Amino acid sequence: MPLFGKSQKSPTDVVKALKEAVNSLEKGDKKAEKAQEDVSKNLVLIKNMLYGTSDAEPQTDIIVAQLAQELYNSNLLLLLIQNLNRIDFEGKKDVAQVFNNILRRQIGTRSPTVEYICTKPEILFTLMTGYEHQDIALNCGTMLRECARYEALAKIMLYSDDFYNYFRYVEVSTFDIASDAFSTFKELLTRHKILCAEFLETNYDKVFSHYQRLLNSENYVTRRQSLKLLGELLLDRHNFTVMTRYISNPDNLKLMMNMLKERSRNIQFEAFHVFKVFVANPNKPKPILDILLRNQEKLVEFLMRFHTDRAEDEQFNDEKAYLIRQIKELKAVQGH
Amino acid sequence: MAKYEAKTSSYKIISLLGQGFDGKAEVHLAKYLPTNEMLAIKKFDMDKIKEEAQLVEREIILTRQLQHPRIISYHLAFVNGPSVWVISSLMAFGSCRDLLSRYFNDGLPENAIILILRDVLDALDYIHKKGFIHRAIKASHILISATGKACLTGLRYACPMVVNGKWQKSIHSFPASTAGNLNWLSPELLEQNLLGYNEKSDIYSVGITMCELANGQEPFAGTTTTLMLTEKVRGCAPQLLDCVTFPRGLALESSGDCDSKSIENRKFSEDLHSVAELCMQRDAYYRPTAEQLLTHPLFKSHKKSMPLPDLLKPALPMSDRVAYNKDDVTNLDTINRLSQMEIYTCEWDF
Repeated sequence: MPLFGKSQKSPTDVVKALKEAVNSLEKGDKKAEKAQEDVSKNLVLIKNMLYGTSDAEPQTDIIVAQLAQELYNSNLLLLLIQNLNRIDFEGKKDVAQVFNNILRRQIGTRSPTVEYICTKPEILFTLMTGYEHQDIALNCGTMLRECARYEALAKIMLYSDDFYNYFRYVEVSTFDIASDAFSTFKELLTRHKILCAEFLETNYDKVFSHYQRLLNSENYVTRRQSLKLLGELLLDRHNFTVMTRYISNPDNLKLMMNMLKERSRNIQFEAFHVFKVFVANPNKPKPILDILLRNQEKLVEFLMRFHTDRAEDEQFNDEKAYLIRQIKELKAVQGH
Repeated sequence: MAKYEAKTSSYKIISLLGQGFDGKAEVHLAKYLPTNEMLAIKKFDMDKIKEEAQLVEREIILTRQLQHPRIISYHLAFVNGPSVWVISSLMAFGSCRDLLSRYFNDGLPENAIILILRDVLDALDYIHKKGFIHRAIKASHILISATGKACLTGLRYACPMVVNGKWQKSIHSFPASTAGNLNWLSPELLEQNLLGYNEKSDIYSVGITMCELANGQEPFAGTTTTLMLTEKVRGCAPQLLDCVTFPRGLALESSGDCDSKSIENRKFSEDLHSVAELCMQRDAYYRPTAEQLLTHPLFKSHKKSMPLPDLLKPALPMSDRVAYNKDDVTNLDTINRLSQMEIYTCEWDF
């Protein structure tokens, strides 16, 4: 407790005051300006309780527990997120900081906020559509990635219909929002290996038909990022089933062979890392083998001249030499 | 945000202002055609940028999340072919580094330093309170607008102090791709030991930047990295060079590039020396915060200064009327076109 100055507001008071202010901000009545001010002020108070300031330590666990309980009971987290676009610039960031701190709260091995959000998935769905609005997209992004750290929350998001909107968000014209959406997208698809593998297996057709669009995007950054992520997904041993399915489809091989010849060297390089999986596969289906055989000489010649300036990248050169050898040794399989 | 359009046809490139990010980014003077507003466009060539692509992303996202009149704001960033275009206001005097190199080889006048310093501290105070460490305060990251406002840029090196939902007391990560900034970094950041560093590391860099602005060159320029590090760790504080710190006799020994006459004849105020000294204390604990520095008498006694643009003469702010070299743009166009002409003859059989 401070010895001088105003005595500290209790968590109950702050949460109550904040809720009232957000409600009147939502109504947009005459007192909107005052409401805006009250929202910002109370958000800072809550943030300071959780994070401390340069001259004050964060509040004790008991106060934080009270605060968290008040936030759950008042349904304020959802209310804040629903009204995020009405809150001022710094206030939006404060909402994200408060949310992220409360989310990480632990009691022993339990994460009470995660449990709470599981019962209120609207919080996640509202956050997920945040990328539709430029002025809150990045704030929602930081909260979404914190949520994605928890398997239970990641699962709700992955299996929601809103997930497929991300294939659109990662391609929007605004670079920062597209990049941020991509980070969230990637986090959801890679963070929890087993969950992700199951998701990709059960939704293979839907996900990869959407993914195909990203690989053909006109946006260079989207194309490059999605190609890189594809390589990471296929090479992750958890995704073995998905990988086997992907490399059995000749259309996928054609796409990668064309990307090997793209003008951008980065795209060529990323395509190489997907292409190599097709070649290294010991059980190539006939259509794949046919394409490789039809282009056998061209591929060998092409790979010999492919990124020869990467002399220092030993792994790349080993892999390239291996691919060349494999392609040279390819023979049509009899009797298939 | 919605004010600017994300398509290249709305912008007319007028001339090349400079390069950055190891030649992987170019800054152009441009006109926004719908309003005829003059702007700066930074183009990152993403095909040349490999692992650092994340840095570009970080810089843009972080800059978009900070709003302060003394921090450069990015109005819009969008992808065009293999490059990312970042639209920002035109900073017509360029960076302080440009001013030093072109017009003030021996350093800026004291009044100019104070005005710039105040703006930088203002920006830094905001950045620190929002929970970030800038980690790259230097003259080349301070841009001056036509009206003489200094704005901070270079946020790709910044790092958050809020990690894992907690405000950290110290940070241990070493900034990526920071080779060009080492001379400005604090001893505790460079040491990379268990104690780590915090936002006071930026205050040390402010001190080094003051020397750079005052002397024309940053301290330790031209010395080896190891020597620079040992000197800093030993607690050797660089100084603002004038008749007090650089007496007549020493001139013979020094082999500096700057004109020693002008240094012997000038005298910086005691307050200016004192601020530099406060900033570059070896022990970060004793360095004042940006907020505390702003209350230093140096800034109080300085209300009635001439405006910065007058102090910066003969440098002139850039505008569409200032003569520029059209060849620059034509040459660039040609080079770009040539580099894209590489032809692949190979066709696959499917």
